[in-house]
Amino acid sequence: MPRTRSNTRRNHLLLARQIIEVALEKGMSAGDHLPEKVFSEACGVSRTPIRSALKILEEKEIVTRREEEGFFLVVGPEQGLAEQPSRIGEVEDSLAARILSDRAERRIGDVQSVSAFVRRYSAPRSAVLNALKILTSEGVVAQLPGRTWAFQPMLDTPNAIGESLDFRLMLEPQAILAPGFSMDSQKVGLVRQKMQDFLDRPNGRMSSAGFLKLDCDFHAFIAESSGNRFVRGALLAHQRLRQTTQKDMALPEYRLRQSLEEHLDILDSLERMQLDLAADQMVLHLRRSQIRRPKAANRGIMPLGRGALR
Amino acid sequence: MTEAPVIAFFPEASFGSALNCVGIAQQLQRSGAVPVFICHPGFTGVFAEYGFKEYHLTQGAATSQQTEETWQSFVTTHLEHFDLDPKAQLTTYVAPTWEAIVDTAIQAEDGLQRLLKRIQPDGIVLDNVIMFPAIANAGVPWIRVVSCAETELPDVNVPPYLSGLTASDPACAPFHEEYLRATAAAHRRYNSFRKKRGLPAVEDGLFLETSPYLNLLLSPSAVRYDRANPLPDDLFVFLEGCVREEARFDTPPLPVNDGPLVYVSFGSLGAIDTDLISRMISVFSAIPARFFVNVGGFLEYYTKVPDNVYLGSWFPQPSIVEQADLFIHHGGNNSFCEALYFGVPSLVMPYCWDGHDNAARAAETAAGIHMNRSKWDDAELSTAMTKLFSDQEMHARLAAISSRMKSDLGTEKAADHIMRVLRPAS
Repeated sequence: MPRTRSNTRRNHLLLARQIIEVALEKGMSAGDHLPEKVFSEACGVSRTPIRSALKILEEKEIVTRREEEGFFLVVGPEQGLAEQPSRIGEVEDSLAARILSDRAERRIGDVQSVSAFVRRYSAPRSAVLNALKILTSEGVVAQLPGRTWAFQPMLDTPNAIGESLDFRLMLEPQAILAPGFSMDSQKVGLVRQKMQDFLDRPNGRMSSAGFLKLDCDFHAFIAESSGNRFVRGALLAHQRLRQTTQKDMALPEYRLRQSLEEHLDILDSLERMQLDLAADQMVLHLRRSQIRRPKAANRGIMPLGRGALR
Repeated sequence: MTEAPVIAFFPEASFGSALNCVGIAQQLQRSGAVPVFICHPGFTGVFAEYGFKEYHLTQGAATSQQTEETWQSFVTTHLEHFDLDPKAQLTTYVAPTWEAIVDTAIQAEDGLQRLLKRIQPDGIVLDNVIMFPAIANAGVPWIRVVSCAETELPDVNVPPYLSGLTASDPACAPFHEEYLRATAAAHRRYNSFRKKRGLPAVEDGLFLETSPYLNLLLSPSAVRYDRANPLPDDLFVFLEGCVREEARFDTPPLPVNDGPLVYVSFGSLGAIDTDLISRMISVFSAIPARFFVNVGGFLEYYTKVPDNVYLGSWFPQPSIVEQADLFIHHGGNNSFCEALYFGVPSLVMPYCWDGHDNAARAAETAAGIHMNRSKWDDAELSTAMTKLFSDQEMHARLAAISSRMKSDLGTEKAADHIMRVLRPAS
């Protein structure tokens, strides 16, 4: 049952990171006891997975276990506890990230065998399988009968990005209009602040990669606020796919700023509960984002639009 | 004129010209003017993304299907012509292209006239290779931008336009005669059109007159020609480059992330030749460098991209050229000027038009290497790149050129002179 094992392992890795975050929030220091019950309540899970996560932290020498007493923190804030979450699970995550990046950059084909991955990355079979499971949960690969894996559509070409925008144009306004739309008021503030901070950057300091992250976060936030569970699920999965695979966000700075201002306007309308207006603003925003540069241009000939000459 | 002057930019339908105008318009905006763009149908939205208002020429009856068919036919017909030398291209590529340019000028005329009446600009900036009578007849100052190579303006000491020759080459005169012969039919038709629209005829071989107000040439001093008849200072202003502002491009780490950074772009036209680019990518895979290749709208043609190569359908070119150690391009004037502006050596592999002239000039001024776009073997391409990576003398010269260009910003100079035309000192 590799699928179950790897999913469980991943959950434990996530939980281990969460335990560190809770320990930091509680101001714990090296030598402090880590009561399972406290962490089980803080993380909203039973004590069994907490114990497994603590064992991962023990493997990483971040905590230690004393017989009959439980787990104790070895690395405190002074010893760099805050940097530890990024270390946890980095092997599995980084291999998944490498596969994803190589696929988005068209280095590997549509269908791959596990052996081919093992050879390409000089990684153990188990690590490859774990990475593939992570990518499966992101909707990036699917296992075929046998030992091969097929990559799912990604946002890796101008045509794919065009189709993604068409899809979002169908669903995102509906995510707002479906009954039950409700935003987490604390999170609105955070999303808004991040965009404002980016907008406050001087000219020449805006990067396309930074914009893509903010853009995906904003649209995912709208999706998760939707009252329709299926719209919510489809859009969240799509935003994850965008975040992990989208290329070609090389937009002029003016458009980056304009786009963020459109996001803020949509949030303004949503906070006033003017949902119809917000949905219309979303249509406008996505339609503006649909503008594509011509595919080819030359003197004396009509510029060729995107999608043609395939 | 007390209000902010409205300046209508009308670039031809090519990225080089369009983005060159964006650089000047950004500066004019900072100077308090209101730049707007008249754009060809396929360029809808390109200028709006830089924050400029657009006015659109109507497409006429052409459907997207017809445009697609025209392009298929263009590619089928001309891809092989790009392998011909400049003289052989005169009858195969240049003459039919001039015929098509004249067609577009005739087709655009009425729509352009209507748009100009609607915009009521205080001035017009024309960055094209042909005059549109509606502009000359608009009753406001018009400024000509020569964003092609300087060869577009003839002189005894300047090699013939599109020839790829050096001025001292005895082949110059026969080339020019052949050029006149090849373009004669289009030229006659164009002069007849001008006459109907009340404009005087232009000389043989010319399709655009000098502006009586201002002419801006995108020609850095490092590659400028020593003219026998210098262009009058009051009408002609040479620019050191017109680099536009773009968002920063953070180069993503590649699986093999060592060595110098090479940016490769043959423009949207060159991207059509996917076979040639595939052949180059195969050579790149064996060179210890990182290659960022602009493949335009043809990303889906490529698979198994090597670990030291990154393909993109669009790069904010100024940002990546600034980070590059070598720029491989087609000799488009904008690309060549950006390479000089950032002090980056050029490996110029021209396809057509003034790409030949810039390739020759890059070699002549030791700003790069001129290489045939397709007649090379793996070792030759690799050797040319290695030479450009290691030529310290060239690097030092280019650094000095870059420093000079950056100290005399072409965009600022252009905007300043345009404003002087529109708001002459009393």
